[in-house]
Amino acid sequence: MQRQKNWFWLIGVLVVALVSAACGGQQAAQPTAASEQQGSNAAADGKLVIGVAHPDFDDKWLSYLQDGMEQYAATQKDVEVIYVDAMNDASKQLSQVENFVLQKVNAIVLIPVDTVSAPEMVEKAKAANIPIIVVNRQYDGVENATAYVGSESIKAGLMQMEEVSKMLNGKGNVALINGQMGQEAQIKRTEGNKQVIGQNPGIQIVLEGTGEWDRAKGMTLMENWLQSGQKIDAVVSNNDEMAIGAIMALEAVGKLEQTIVAGIDATPDALEYVKSGKLQVTVFQNARGQGESGLATAIKAARGETVEKFTWVPYELVTKDNVDEYIQKWQ
Amino acid sequence: MSSETTTVKKQERIANNSPLKVKSLAFLSRYGMLLILIALVILMSILSPTFFTASNLLNIVKQMSVVGIVAIGVTLVIITTGIDLSSGSVIALVSVVVASLAQPGGMPLFVPIIVGLGLGLLTGVINGTIISKGKIAPFIVTLGMMTAARGAALLYSGGRPIGNLSEPFKFIGQGQIFGIPFPILLFAFVGVITYLLLNKTKFGKRVYAIGGNEQAAMIAGIHIDRVKICIYGYAGLLSALAGIILTSRIASGQPTAGNMYELDAIAAAVIGGTSLSGGIGTIGGTIIGALVIGVMNNGLDLLNVSSYWQQILKGAIITAAVYLDSRKHNRRS
Amino acid sequence: MSSEFILEMEQITKEFPGVKALDQVQLKVRKGTVHALMGENGAGKSTLMKILIGMYSPDRGRILFDGEELKLGGVKDALDKGISMIHQELSPIPNMTVAENIFLGREPSFRLTGWVKARELTDQTRRLFERLEIEIDPHARMSELSIANTQMVEIAKAISYNAKLIVMDEPTSAITEKEVFHLFRIIRSLKQEGVSIIYITHKMDELAEITDELTVLRDGKYIGTRPSLNTTREQLIEMMVGREVQQIFRKPPAQIGETIMSVRQLARRGKYEQVSFELKKGEILGVAGLMGSGRTEVLEGIFGVNPPDTGEIFIHGQKALIRSPRDAIAHRIGLLTEDRKQTGLFLPLSVEDNMTILNIDQYAKGVFLDEKKMEQACRQQNEQLAIKTPGLKQIIKYLSGGNQQKVLIARWLLHDPEILLLDEPTRGIDVGAKAEIYQLIFELAKKGKAIVLVSSELPEILGLSDRIMVMHEGRKMGELSREEATQEKIMQLATGGLTTSA
Repeated sequence: MQRQKNWFWLIGVLVVALVSAACGGQQAAQPTAASEQQGSNAAADGKLVIGVAHPDFDDKWLSYLQDGMEQYAATQKDVEVIYVDAMNDASKQLSQVENFVLQKVNAIVLIPVDTVSAPEMVEKAKAANIPIIVVNRQYDGVENATAYVGSESIKAGLMQMEEVSKMLNGKGNVALINGQMGQEAQIKRTEGNKQVIGQNPGIQIVLEGTGEWDRAKGMTLMENWLQSGQKIDAVVSNNDEMAIGAIMALEAVGKLEQTIVAGIDATPDALEYVKSGKLQVTVFQNARGQGESGLATAIKAARGETVEKFTWVPYELVTKDNVDEYIQKWQ
Repeated sequence: MSSETTTVKKQERIANNSPLKVKSLAFLSRYGMLLILIALVILMSILSPTFFTASNLLNIVKQMSVVGIVAIGVTLVIITTGIDLSSGSVIALVSVVVASLAQPGGMPLFVPIIVGLGLGLLTGVINGTIISKGKIAPFIVTLGMMTAARGAALLYSGGRPIGNLSEPFKFIGQGQIFGIPFPILLFAFVGVITYLLLNKTKFGKRVYAIGGNEQAAMIAGIHIDRVKICIYGYAGLLSALAGIILTSRIASGQPTAGNMYELDAIAAAVIGGTSLSGGIGTIGGTIIGALVIGVMNNGLDLLNVSSYWQQILKGAIITAAVYLDSRKHNRRS
Repeated sequence: MSSEFILEMEQITKEFPGVKALDQVQLKVRKGTVHALMGENGAGKSTLMKILIGMYSPDRGRILFDGEELKLGGVKDALDKGISMIHQELSPIPNMTVAENIFLGREPSFRLTGWVKARELTDQTRRLFERLEIEIDPHARMSELSIANTQMVEIAKAISYNAKLIVMDEPTSAITEKEVFHLFRIIRSLKQEGVSIIYITHKMDELAEITDELTVLRDGKYIGTRPSLNTTREQLIEMMVGREVQQIFRKPPAQIGETIMSVRQLARRGKYEQVSFELKKGEILGVAGLMGSGRTEVLEGIFGVNPPDTGEIFIHGQKALIRSPRDAIAHRIGLLTEDRKQTGLFLPLSVEDNMTILNIDQYAKGVFLDEKKMEQACRQQNEQLAIKTPGLKQIIKYLSGGNQQKVLIARWLLHDPEILLLDEPTRGIDVGAKAEIYQLIFELAKKGKAIVLVSSELPEILGLSDRIMVMHEGRKMGELSREEATQEKIMQLATGGLTTSA
């Protein structure tokens, strides 16, 4: 009996260790995480203090957004920026925003964990007369915040499809690969695609399905479509991963040459595929631009200047011609 | 005395009567889903002219081999009234680890494969040990492993896919032997091995016994803990194999890979007649279950049915299968 | 519309897969009477009662309650109509109080908020107990009560519904004589209030004392209804068993050898204490006792299912350390458990799998199993035990209870045990099969197996055993030799009466 108990505890401890290592491990590695306490006596020395509520330090793309802020902050005198990590936990983020309010920071930059809990955080800041700038994740009622800085998902779909239709010379069969159905990015990107297709009578959507953002599922979907014998001139995917899956399926049957493939996100993998000519188009959401612009707006608001309600940071189209520039960015 | 003899006769009649009913029931429960599969194939062939071609049929089996291999492991787990929710996450963990080891010019091919399989086995053994020694519900333990393994995969890869795999490694998921995709051969191999394990060895008999009645198995002197650890270990091993195939197929180790595969695998097992109440389930059934899902996915894609409808139809089929299953077993009481 | 009967059940038929549990059964209960429902285990009494209280619906047949056709959607329906039941297997909610248990689901509560009126709940319980002259604290937790008191609470609960008809399923099986007397007083006063009672019992002495009429079922069939007073024990047994008792079984002269197992001072907290006995080769040791007397627990202790806290077991004079069934099996002990379905059978598996699982190591040929050898062994058992099955691959769930039991016995025989612990080996088995199982037990003893037989059926214990050990509330009350044992002596010991020197 005793031995069994020991076993049990040993394994219990092991699992706890594993779980905590897996889920919480990287926090200490982030140099910015420690700066939380520094702002406790905000604005005491006449500096402007800006609090940034970051949803997830581990997210690669968001880390570029943070880079953008840090670079911009370096150019500003008398500005101190505090970054806090909500670790993808909305309630944690709420208490972090409340802390900012208590510390009386001069402005808050909020990148919401989710769009459901964001309005409450905006209310908290407004009630304390602290300007709050929402960045990157848009939701209904975002105009209540002091300002919003981000990119419009629909623009990515428009830009992507416009480029594809140019390549098709306004004529051809298109297959659409959707992301996880019902998510904002999927809906808007597809909507953008369809708007462009609507303006080009020569282009038809012949197939449409979902790859749930996943490379393997995009590949499976493409394999099935290829079996159907339907002629496909271009594959337009909601993201790069599914586009790469489609490319692999096309390659396996030797049909990649005749087919245009387009993605969105400009991930490092995707850029390699663009460079080798397998992926014709992808769209870059300007993370640094959003970070820069978000912090700039916050500083302006903190100084009491009037700010634009909406700042749209444009997407950038990536093709073989300018791909090297973006490969640089990720390095 | 005469009433006595009629009673005995009655008993005999009842005893002789039931097997007939039982036989037709057994026939339905054994071949019911096969009939549904055949019906689906015929239906799809009528609706889509390109469905019933050798290349498409191979395509379906190839696509289902990953989930199918997971489902075979899960079948054993479900037979013992357990559940394994960690399969998808184990796939992801194995995927990123194997991808990082299978870089060109790196280690020989067997190293990533052995490490990957070992990792899967380890997760399974941890699951099995906590479930049997700690007496914690499999649902909770494997849910914990699902979260932990996914976290470990993200941690290991820094959340990014790991590409640039060596050519020999790509053969596992993309290669062919005599025109048959290699994943299909692996799927068949796993199917045959597991069939033998389950039906021709004492281990298999014990698996069914534990699922049929754990109390009785304990009294019959079966080492329940040991058998359970083996089962979860085997399921973990097969998840790892599936992860290796998937990684090779998409030529990339992905921390987000295998998302929700555990549910597809469970669905395949259940559609194939594996009973969630334990003691019942066959490898053949699970393979048929996987093929039913595969044919549905493929056929609906060929027909360009909207994604929303695909989900509804898949859901309906799974529920119908479980309904038939419960009808079958409710007759007991 | 009024009729002299409160309840008329006619032509009730209920079939389960492979078994016709009830075949055109009738039961007519007069108003204000106590009607005994008799029959052996598995005769269909519980099924009939479960139909009456709405747990099952009959396949065919008609039920008139107070002259009106009764159609039940469930147990709640039956309670609303005025039919309640005291179940033999008590099912209190242990962590709730006595009062809460009694008024579960119908607590006096405030109409708007639904909050329970605690004071009123206690008062109502107290009034109920006063009326029934029961002395139990309404605030006590059910888990603190003795089995007898738990039984009294169940009785009070059934009465508290103000039912017109109360079914009592062996209400006296777990209570002492004093409480039996008390219960009978309650029953008589209920009768005077016009309440009718269906009284299920195995105790023949109770019939004349408390019941007015009796109905006998056998093997799911209606045998007859008689006035209780004029029915002799012999007549009744013949109705229940279908032939004379003596004919069924009588242990042939035994050849009892040396002691194989001796159990010394076995104890497990809260279950049993200081249990000691010896078991000899070729001997059948009967263990009698009421529900909850610890008989099953002792067997489970010996077999290592729930190992005892203290005490020793010697096998062939050597101390045996048994901490799990595996250890017991290694010592060549076998246990046929009380509840076939819960702890014996692998219902979804085949006859062959059920038979060979224990002994599976013996059939291994390299990695695989020697299927021929397995089949041969099973076939042999099938013949020897006359198991009726369409084939070895038949799923055992579809076999009759008797044949299922034989398969379980075969499972142990394949392992060739020296000691067999049989816990209620004939429970829920029809008469014919019972006789076969008795015969089988005799033969096993003759072959030199040492057998411990636990049974609730006294005639069975008396007919089969060489020696009888009687237990009461976890203690061994005494041992009776085959010659001195009678039903009365056993009952006296089993209800905590005089102890004998063992």
